[in-house]
Amino acid sequence: MTTNVLVVEDDERIRTALRLALEDEGWRVSEAESCEDALEGFNPDNTDVVLVDIMLPGLDGFELCRSIRRTSHVPIIMVTARDDTHDIVAGLEAGADDYLTKPFAPKELSARIRALLRRSRTVDGNDLPRLIGDLEINPDEGVVRKNGEELHLTKTEFRLLCELSDNPGKVMSREHLLERVWGYDYFGDGRLVDVHVRRLRLKIEDDPARPRYVATARGMGYKLRA
Amino acid sequence: MALRRPRPLRRLPLRARVVGAFTLGALIAASMLVVITYGLSRNSMLGLRQESSEAQFFANAKQVQGSLRAESPDFAVLLESLPSLSGSRSIVRTGPDTWRSPSLVPSDLPAELVNVAENSNRAYAMRYRLDGVPQLALGLRLRPAAVSQLSETLYFEVVPLSEIEATLSSLRLILGLGGALTVLIGVAIGAWAGGRLLRPLANVSDAANSIAHGRFDTRVEHSDDPDLAVIVESFNDMADAMERRIARDARFASDVSHELRSPLQTLRSSIDYLNGHRDELSSQGATALDLLASEIDRFEQLVQDLLEISRPDAHGSVFERGLVNVTELVQHRVHASDSDITFEISPAAANAVVIGDKRGLAQVFDNLLRNAEKHGGGATLVEISRPDNSVRIAIEDSGPGVTPSERELVFERFTRGAAARKRGAGSGAGLGLALVYEHTRRHGGSVHVESRADGERGARFVVELPIAGHR
Repeated sequence: MTTNVLVVEDDERIRTALRLALEDEGWRVSEAESCEDALEGFNPDNTDVVLVDIMLPGLDGFELCRSIRRTSHVPIIMVTARDDTHDIVAGLEAGADDYLTKPFAPKELSARIRALLRRSRTVDGNDLPRLIGDLEINPDEGVVRKNGEELHLTKTEFRLLCELSDNPGKVMSREHLLERVWGYDYFGDGRLVDVHVRRLRLKIEDDPARPRYVATARGMGYKLRA
Repeated sequence: MALRRPRPLRRLPLRARVVGAFTLGALIAASMLVVITYGLSRNSMLGLRQESSEAQFFANAKQVQGSLRAESPDFAVLLESLPSLSGSRSIVRTGPDTWRSPSLVPSDLPAELVNVAENSNRAYAMRYRLDGVPQLALGLRLRPAAVSQLSETLYFEVVPLSEIEATLSSLRLILGLGGALTVLIGVAIGAWAGGRLLRPLANVSDAANSIAHGRFDTRVEHSDDPDLAVIVESFNDMADAMERRIARDARFASDVSHELRSPLQTLRSSIDYLNGHRDELSSQGATALDLLASEIDRFEQLVQDLLEISRPDAHGSVFERGLVNVTELVQHRVHASDSDITFEISPAAANAVVIGDKRGLAQVFDNLLRNAEKHGGGATLVEISRPDNSVRIAIEDSGPGVTPSERELVFERFTRGAAARKRGAGSGAGLGLALVYEHTRRHGGSVHVESRADGERGARFVVELPIAGHR
């Protein structure tokens, strides 16, 4: 099955250059020059990864992330030209799974896409279903149930939960989680973990302000309470 | 532009001048108070004593006058029987050389008094010293009694003033001490006032210092004093204007860099694509591509550095701040740079953790390693040690070194070493060391360059960063 990448970028030259690079990887690329354009033709079943430039005319990239997240868990990578911490956190909060700052090497982009696809297809290691409190995590099916009811996690959130549940009760550092879930080596951005943990809590906790499952180990990382 | 007005006292520091003025003021006030108080008290005490002595003197003189009617008065008995005020003594002269007294001899009297009494009808009083004791002497020529042959009778009394003298001497002591104390208090108030006067100036100087160290948002607290408010206002206005100017410059650099990022993205993607297909290119085409690629690398680095260096401070950084193990980071960067370098890591430094942003710190070491590569034939030694409360990373190379005159200059923007004045292959944009400086400063640390520790040819760049919890 071919991987379909949707590139949402208003600069035609960048779109073309990215298409060249991505098609070189053997992927199929569809282009959109605005959010409206992207949403019009968006088909979740036919899109594996979305690449969104944050600064778009009209509706911005944050809005697009939120719109897509309402209907789909497709992995989203956002691209920013302004590496301002506010934009990055806002993008992640809006539902992006990862981010890149311009100018990035196409190799870096394909590595990020591959990491996302890997995380959205299978989970390596121990695939046996786990029971943690009221949560039932089934890595094989890619499903989490709480009191028997299925929760709608994005692939990244799901992967993060699986990683934490591999060793319940053990503190996982941000670096470890970045490497395992996002495929970063030394230089991952810890905020990716923080924002995703926040989003995960919103979905699995009864009271996200007083988390019962995912606990913060201050200055060290996170752990899943056994 | 410095405004100066010559003043004779300007050589003295302001504080000394304030203290001096207060001391002088206190001294003048205290001496005036002492002199006036002493003078008034002395006059009033002596006046009182003189009054009472005179009253007694006249009463006694009257009695002596009365006795003159007698045929031959017994002055010795009479004088003895007169009431004596605080040890006063009397003497009577009945003839030019005839004196009568139970307790005085004529030579005890001042000659002047005798003289005046002889030639005047009025009573006369004067102060003098007898045997070192101050005395009040009074004299009067008595009216001659008709029957008596004693026509030239003079009556004298001598009243010792030693009691008053003792009182005045304790008064002098008390006033002296009081005066000295007043002067001391004046000095103390002067010192305090000088400090108070200078405190706003000290605040301004602290603020200026803080701005000089890069904290551009520093302002001086507003003052209610209209005189000081002017200084404070104009200082703060100046700081505002400077901060706006710096922010505008930074925003300009940052806007330019952002605008450059999109075209760079296209170039980077296209060149990487071509690189992936270089077997389809002729050898000349491949050479051209390599040239293009290396220039793009440099350009990208320059834009990145410009953005990084124009960021107003670390708070706006993309990268989060966290705990960073310095030794691990340095080893990681040296490893990534593929160089053959000797490590010397002190055991205490192995776990040295600083608070900072990992990528900024990585850039510090990348840039230092790249600098050694470009100007010093590659780094030869990396030394990590742990002096008090900080971690010290030294990177040595075996290049020409940095001359003492250039040692501060190399951390300025767009300065390149003398050896690399001409722009050649691989020479950087000249922002590398400036960024090293900027990043270490933002982390509360410092960087400098010196000669190699072993005395060999080469440069030694030393970065010091405060250990977490000791900033």
